[in-house]
Amino acid sequence: MNVVLWIIFLPIILFVIGTFMLGYSRKFIARIERRYGPPIQQVFYDIFKLMNKKTNISHGWMHDIAILMLLGGTLLTMYFVPVPGFHFFAQYGDMLVIMYILLIPALGMALGVGETANPNGSIGISRALMMLAGYDIPFVLTFIGFAMINHTTSMYDLMLAQQAGGIAGWGLISQPLLGIAALIALQGMLGEKPFEVMVAPHEIATGPMTEMGGKYLGIMMIQHAIGIVVELTIYINLFLGGAVNWFEYIVKLFVLFTMLLSVNAVFGRFRTDDAVRFMWKIPLPLAIIGILFIIF
Amino acid sequence: MDEKLTQRSVWEKIAAKLSKRSLWMLHYCTGCGAIELPPTMTARFDMERFGINPMVTPRQADILLITGYLSVKTLKRVVLTYEQMQAPKYVVGFGSCTINGGMYWNSYATMKSLDRYIPVETYIAGCMPRPEAIIHSFNELIAKIDRGEANSWKDYYKNYDFYRKNQEHTFEGPIETYNDIKADAALFRI
Repeated sequence: MNVVLWIIFLPIILFVIGTFMLGYSRKFIARIERRYGPPIQQVFYDIFKLMNKKTNISHGWMHDIAILMLLGGTLLTMYFVPVPGFHFFAQYGDMLVIMYILLIPALGMALGVGETANPNGSIGISRALMMLAGYDIPFVLTFIGFAMINHTTSMYDLMLAQQAGGIAGWGLISQPLLGIAALIALQGMLGEKPFEVMVAPHEIATGPMTEMGGKYLGIMMIQHAIGIVVELTIYINLFLGGAVNWFEYIVKLFVLFTMLLSVNAVFGRFRTDDAVRFMWKIPLPLAIIGILFIIF
Repeated sequence: MDEKLTQRSVWEKIAAKLSKRSLWMLHYCTGCGAIELPPTMTARFDMERFGINPMVTPRQADILLITGYLSVKTLKRVVLTYEQMQAPKYVVGFGSCTINGGMYWNSYATMKSLDRYIPVETYIAGCMPRPEAIIHSFNELIAKIDRGEANSWKDYYKNYDFYRKNQEHTFEGPIETYNDIKADAALFRI
């Protein structure tokens, strides 16, 4: 019964948190640019407006299904990632499953955007998959390092092992090289600047979202709101000792997100080749050196 | 006056209250006046506090801001862009040239009145209008949406023959558009 309630309410809770985090990010960046900025609930207004549009353009059934695949893949990932009070599915799917199903949203987007036949969209998708090759390899390597220390691939057990050691047991402090490599990879995973090549509004007109309007874009914004919370939660569980209660969880989410936003607010955008080259030059060697430290 | 225009359900009133806080703007700046928009967006006048953001594609946009004069060639692109936007959509004519031709009144190459070709929600008079005037007109548009009077986009579906006739007269022949406006109107019951 408890599990059923969690399954129903977890998407709603994470959606509300994610939406407020997106609103907070817009306000934060506005303040850095010395603007007043929108209200913090602005993203709710945006999503409501998009879902309330009177007309809709569909480019075919693949376009419709892919949008649901995008949202479904994110929701599936969300259930496997342990949050305070709910780790029922964590015993059925370990980190390998999570790394695998994290790719479903990107593939869903590729299928849907392919049907819209917009050149900007295709360029955006090819850039997104290039970036995936950039940030996924360091991220998987850092996770392999942790699995080697703790002899487990379950995210929940990794979280418990860190909590047993107090703050000194946190992944970021016990294995700083892996922690920093994953932090840079996380910046790419969230698509924040300087790794914003996928969206790039001034070059390729928001890339995959070019042909998305109305309810399609609304569902994509809901997916984005849940997706950033899920990706930040993976980092928190692996490197910041997870969280025992919701207060600690939300504080850690906002502190981590503010760190990434501060980098986002002051950087420009790398070119695609530069971004991938950066990912393979800095975080990848860091992760490999970190693993060598663990082995020897 | 039409009864349906004045009587709104509770849901429509709530929806208007929430939707007016989020307007995404596509700016079409092939005439002049694009220089007035950066100060409107950045620190001094900051239109994002009203929820108005610049957007880059017509599919995502709610406002089509047309600055300055339109020639025959650019008018064709405006019509194509306007038909790609998703309703409800609001056109804002910026500067005297969109109202009556302005200083290009005697020109053979420019359009004189924008609302003969697409329905216009609000105009901003002036040559050039200052950022204060732009912010003021956006606030007028927000108030109009709140009152439920910003319905000019329905005119395009209802009086499509009128707009199409004016467009074809200017382009001297039929043009190829990607949307079947009458089929859309029947499909979405506008």
